Amino acid sequence: MPLVKRNIDPRHLCHTALPRGIKNELECVTNISLANIIRQLSSLSKYAEDIFGELFNEAHSFSFRVNSLQERVDRLSVSVTQLDPKEEELSLQDITMRKAFRSSTIQDQQLFDRKTLPIPLQETYDICEQPPPLNILTPYRDDGKEGLKFYTNPSYFFDLWKEKMLQDTEDKRKEKRKQKQKNLDRPHEPEKVPRAPHDRRREWQKLAQGPELAEDDANLLHKHIEVANGPASHFESRSQAFVDHMDGSYSLSALPYSQMSELLSRAEERVLVRPHEPPPPPPMHGAGEVKPVPPCVSSTPGLVENRPQSPATGRTPVFVSPTPPPPPPPPLPSALSTSSLRAAMTSTPPPPVPPPPPPPTAALQAPAVPPPPAPLQIAPGVLHPAPPPVAPPLAQPSPPVTRAAQVCEAVPVHPVPPQAEVQGLPPPPPPPPLPPPGIRPSSPVTVATLSHPPPVLHPPPTTIVPGPHAPIMPPSPPSQVIPAPEPKRHPSTLPVISDARSVLLEAIRKGIQLRKVEEQREQEAKHERIENDVATILSRRIAVEYSDSEDDSEFDEVDWLE
Amino acid sequence: MSVQEDPVQREIHQDWANREYIEVITSSIKKIADFLNSFDMSCRSRLATLNEKLTALERRIEYIEARVSGGTVGR
Repeated sequence: MPLVKRNIDPRHLCHTALPRGIKNELECVTNISLANIIRQLSSLSKYAEDIFGELFNEAHSFSFRVNSLQERVDRLSVSVTQLDPKEEELSLQDITMRKAFRSSTIQDQQLFDRKTLPIPLQETYDICEQPPPLNILTPYRDDGKEGLKFYTNPSYFFDLWKEKMLQDTEDKRKEKRKQKQKNLDRPHEPEKVPRAPHDRRREWQKLAQGPELAEDDANLLHKHIEVANGPASHFESRSQAFVDHMDGSYSLSALPYSQMSELLSRAEERVLVRPHEPPPPPPMHGAGEVKPVPPCVSSTPGLVENRPQSPATGRTPVFVSPTPPPPPPPPLPSALSTSSLRAAMTSTPPPPVPPPPPPPTAALQAPAVPPPPAPLQIAPGVLHPAPPPVAPPLAQPSPPVTRAAQVCEAVPVHPVPPQAEVQGLPPPPPPPPLPPPGIRPSSPVTVATLSHPPPVLHPPPTTIVPGPHAPIMPPSPPSQVIPAPEPKRHPSTLPVISDARSVLLEAIRKGIQLRKVEEQREQEAKHERIENDVATILSRRIAVEYSDSEDDSEFDEVDWLE
Repeated sequence: MSVQEDPVQREIHQDWANREYIEVITSSIKKIADFLNSFDMSCRSRLATLNEKLTALERRIEYIEARVSGGTVGR
């Protein structure tokens, strides 16, 4: 619907009610019409002034630009006359080391912002009815958001997009860090790589007895590689090189290590189709493996992903099954074991199906409880936008305390934690942490309940939204929250021990909380520093994406640009 | 009878004349508004082409400056 920019004000000349008691009505109407004509002329002149003003402003800015251009041209002409052809630099280093020329690409952005609204439209907007004054409720809000944002938020979509972009850049950075770690972890393995192709050729020679079968294998491989590479025609040359080296499904070992590790991380995130694949058959049926995988590989979007995934199609089913009988490429099981994410998963006795794609944050939550040193290492080091502040601090005190006093209580203790759990889950975030830690400092008798915090903690972390003030608890409420049967057993010992324990636990929690809060403050400061600049956000994201196969130096530069 | 009709007739004639006068004025107001709109549009299009030429010139000058100064000066 086109919006009228300038509206001449008295729209109808004589659509007004005539005053009463007039004899000559026709004259009256004429006079009213003439008066309205004058009003129309005045609004017309006002709009004409506005139009010319806008045009003048634009032309004025152009005049500045033209003048500066003129000066530059003059300077250039002077310097060109001063150029001496004998002064050319001869050193090759200069040519290679010099920074490449990059023109300053100024992109138009934030075009339809409130500030760029033209004046006549702003006036029309001001005439409209105002939204309800919900911002007067803002000081009473807990989460610090403006009240009016819940009613109408003009920057909603931009904020959404910005968050998504920043999240994507963070994810890419983490991927790269993991790859780096994996690259550092496995420096010696490439030695094994060159051996593989020779074996394949020998086997193929053996297969020469059945030449038809051998040809089919090769054709299938080539076909599937082409299918996977179809959407990414950009990388055809690369795939051709791989095809040339391809002797079977194991020539994938010819891949550089960075891409293999990339494959690993991507396969575990995206290729979830084949968790139940039967253990990889003997080597010659690698082609059969390749068949079911390419459809799911080619469906994944993104040029960058296709490129490493396509040559390694045969690998993916092996990746996803963490407990294979001898998988064909030997480096893979070691790769699986060394990745930090897998360590927790493979150590616990799970079914051969790993859990469906947990983002790294969720995966961290799961192993947080069983291996106690692991959360201490992982949680402070990783900057998640939504760290689970409750889970690690709650997880850490519980295992040490369980080990400290291994007292097994009878069944009557059991109904307590479920009760506390039920109490804990329905209320809003701050109360749920209270019942589980409330049980802990209560008494030595209830230590057995601490064996239940692992299952109890799992539901609360999933429901709790990061509230940094949530774990802060004074010692008195926990003792109040303690359910009725407990204090009856050991009333004398409760207050003394609870105070000591609660103090200790609070200190521990605050120590961890301080780190979390600092991290969060850092993140908030970072977010505030990030301006609403579409160009920089996009450029950052693209730089992170395209620096996949390059050094991290470029990526660090982008980092320091913030 | 004609004497009674005359004042009414005169009034009606006068009214018609007034209306014609008002109509002339309003049509010229519309012409002015039309002219202003088309002037605005044409001016904007010309300024936009000017802008394009200016940006092209600026980029070329940047490149030439980079070439002439040997790549060591600025970007």
